[in-house]
Amino acid sequence: MSATGLKLFPLRSRHVLPGFRLSLAFTLVYLTSLVLIPLLALVIRPAELGLDGFWSAISTPRVLASLRLSFGMALAAAVIDSFFGVIIAWVLVRYRFPGKGLLDAVIDLPFALPTAVAGIALSTLYAPNGWIGSLLIAHGIRIAYTPYGVLVAMIFISLPFTVRTVQPVMAELGLEVEEAAATLGATRLQTLARVVLPMLWPAVLTGMAMAFARAAGEYGSIIFIAGNIPAVSEIAPLLIITKLEQYDYAGAAAIGVVMLAASFVMLLALNGLQSWTAKRR
Amino acid sequence: MSLTVDSVTKKFGRFPALNGASFVAPQGSFVSLLGPSGSGKTTLLRILGGLEFSDSGSVRFADLNWLDMPARTRNAGFVFQQYALFKHMTVADNIAFGLKVRPRNRRPSHTDIKKRVTELLALVQLPGLEDRYPSQLSGGQRQRVALARALAIEPRMLLLDEPFGALDAKVRKELRTDLRRIHDHAGVTTVFVTHDQEEAFAVADLVAVMKDGCIEQYGAPADVRRNPRTAFVSEFLSA
Amino acid sequence: MKKTFFDGRSGSRRRSFLKPTEDPLWLRLFLGAVAIGFIAILLLLPLALVFKEAFANGVSALWAAIKEPDTLASVRLSLIAAGIAVPLNMVFGIAAAWCITKFDFPGKTFLVTLIDLPFSVSPVVAGLIYVLVFGAQGWFGRSLADNDIHILFAVPGIVLATIFVTFPFVARELIPLMADQGRDEEEAAATLGATGFQTFLRVTLPNIKWGLLYGVLLCNARALGEFGAVSVVSGHIRGVTNTMPLHVQLLYDNYDYAGAFTVAALLAMLALLTLALKSLLEWRYADELAAAHRR
Repeated sequence: MSATGLKLFPLRSRHVLPGFRLSLAFTLVYLTSLVLIPLLALVIRPAELGLDGFWSAISTPRVLASLRLSFGMALAAAVIDSFFGVIIAWVLVRYRFPGKGLLDAVIDLPFALPTAVAGIALSTLYAPNGWIGSLLIAHGIRIAYTPYGVLVAMIFISLPFTVRTVQPVMAELGLEVEEAAATLGATRLQTLARVVLPMLWPAVLTGMAMAFARAAGEYGSIIFIAGNIPAVSEIAPLLIITKLEQYDYAGAAAIGVVMLAASFVMLLALNGLQSWTAKRR
Repeated sequence: MSLTVDSVTKKFGRFPALNGASFVAPQGSFVSLLGPSGSGKTTLLRILGGLEFSDSGSVRFADLNWLDMPARTRNAGFVFQQYALFKHMTVADNIAFGLKVRPRNRRPSHTDIKKRVTELLALVQLPGLEDRYPSQLSGGQRQRVALARALAIEPRMLLLDEPFGALDAKVRKELRTDLRRIHDHAGVTTVFVTHDQEEAFAVADLVAVMKDGCIEQYGAPADVRRNPRTAFVSEFLSA
Repeated sequence: MKKTFFDGRSGSRRRSFLKPTEDPLWLRLFLGAVAIGFIAILLLLPLALVFKEAFANGVSALWAAIKEPDTLASVRLSLIAAGIAVPLNMVFGIAAAWCITKFDFPGKTFLVTLIDLPFSVSPVVAGLIYVLVFGAQGWFGRSLADNDIHILFAVPGIVLATIFVTFPFVARELIPLMADQGRDEEEAAATLGATGFQTFLRVTLPNIKWGLLYGVLLCNARALGEFGAVSVVSGHIRGVTNTMPLHVQLLYDNYDYAGAFTVAALLAMLALLTLALKSLLEWRYADELAAAHRR
């Protein structure tokens, strides 16, 4: 086909490669039936309560407590994981020692391990007669069956996110800025504090946001260690299930919508963060 | 107070980057290390800056055993080929960095630091750019900021690693002239690495032509050009 | 100890200070201890506990627990769910990556965001949405009951929930990978007269095979291990609608700790195998994995 041939018949070949319609159709059908329609059900269902009904479903003390617990502990877990995540990533990227590869692979354990397995393991470990729980009970600290159990489970589940977002950024930093700081007279600690850490900040925030999103929605690894006492140690996902069992579909959907909205906001914030950092660099 | 480099060697694993490099430069002179890639010129420069450690040999400068001091205390300003500016800091903060990290007893006051930054920006011909970020500057501007940053600490030695390598020809010529002017004004001993012989000859008092980790010839540009001592030198200069 | 651990020196000349880019020894020891200690306590202890409890009553008790009919039924159900979800999601991943990376059309970013959605949604919400559609009070609840079709509290519901939470894995790996690889080779094949399927099989597939394997590996691990979403749609009928993770919960809630940890140990071994294969792929085939590029 000559170039003029193409121009004369623009409708003939809109796409160079074959298979566009087939793959797009399959993708759209799959996504629509699997994702969009069920999500639509989630958003529409609370509507039958009306705005007032929705609001009162959300603002019962029990629901509010569960949302406070899920989101509050998720935030705390994200901050703690970010702190340790930076340290762990630094050690993995900058130091050399035997067994480092193994340590690096283990970081992904919370990612690969089924949440129920993590749940019963953590619950047994931090129970008053568990390996760690028994050590802490001597000092009056209870973890299992209290809100702190929720926190520990969330720290476990979110760690990979904070490490893996910071790790590649650290690896790409390059040593030159640190060398420049040294030639200008900075001590190693000054270099780390004034040059290295500020450059990692966007990645740390991103990891924190992802850790928060994951922890807030987590269910399996938390319910065994949590205690699940309404308004005390009951996480929002558990409350959704409880409401479903009571056939309060609208109430369950209402909480689901709140959680979905929070995920959405988090996604937007993350994307905004990415484009803001892209402009700054 | 001359700079005396004596038989410096350095191996990276099995690869001999420096094979006994030696030269002497009087205080305040402008020396250029010239050679193809792999000749060891950058390695030698980084050793002078404290960013690499030599395997053997010595360097004396300002009556000090230079190689026994960590980079932090040498007060040798270093300008990198890719600028190595602190992207999260403004131009002013970049330049002031070396002054702000000084221990309290040696740190100038806030106002003095500000004054110095303004002076340096004027010196490198970038007045008024204090509050810009490096990402908002052109390549030539970034390199000027890097130079100002290195000069802020009142260095006793200025080291430049192919500083104009990433810039186009016109900007290179301008910066080259400005660099020489600043050097003459400050009187600081300067070592300048490049692979561009026109650049080296235009700007330096003394040129060291390097190959395979050794200094093949060392002298004033005119002498080196007129009397090339080895076949490599004459070939390199005629290319 | 100095030479191999936290090696800080280069060059044979003895010096009392470090390179400017190296941390002082005390900092290295401190950070190393914090990192290793944190990982050991947080991650390794629970893992060790699982195996210790599984073997608490000896190997024969372990074996007997595995051969329990309800346990075997849960293994079968998990394998069925994964066996349907993973191939379907693999096909989806390939189709989505093909149309997204080899063509330009409006709404691409929206599509990609939609694909990422299950990652940011709570697993319980993932199960909830299917209850809202197929449940007794859901949209299709009445008509399903009239026709005696059981989606929820039966295998189809479990399969659906599993598909939902695992479908992004293959797509998320293939999309950046195929985007990186560009369209040149496929276009060349097109000019040489190959059909779509021929192009895919002979040109694209060899280039993406390791990325595809990687995505399938993660997809499979998640499918076998999913708990929250499946828990909502399952009904928890012992021996019938319990996957392995649900069976772990059932045994644990009934104080059969040895049994619970036995099944948990099986799942943990699967997780370790997944991690090992994942690391192997990342190490050996880093160039052909998008995930490794991100690292």
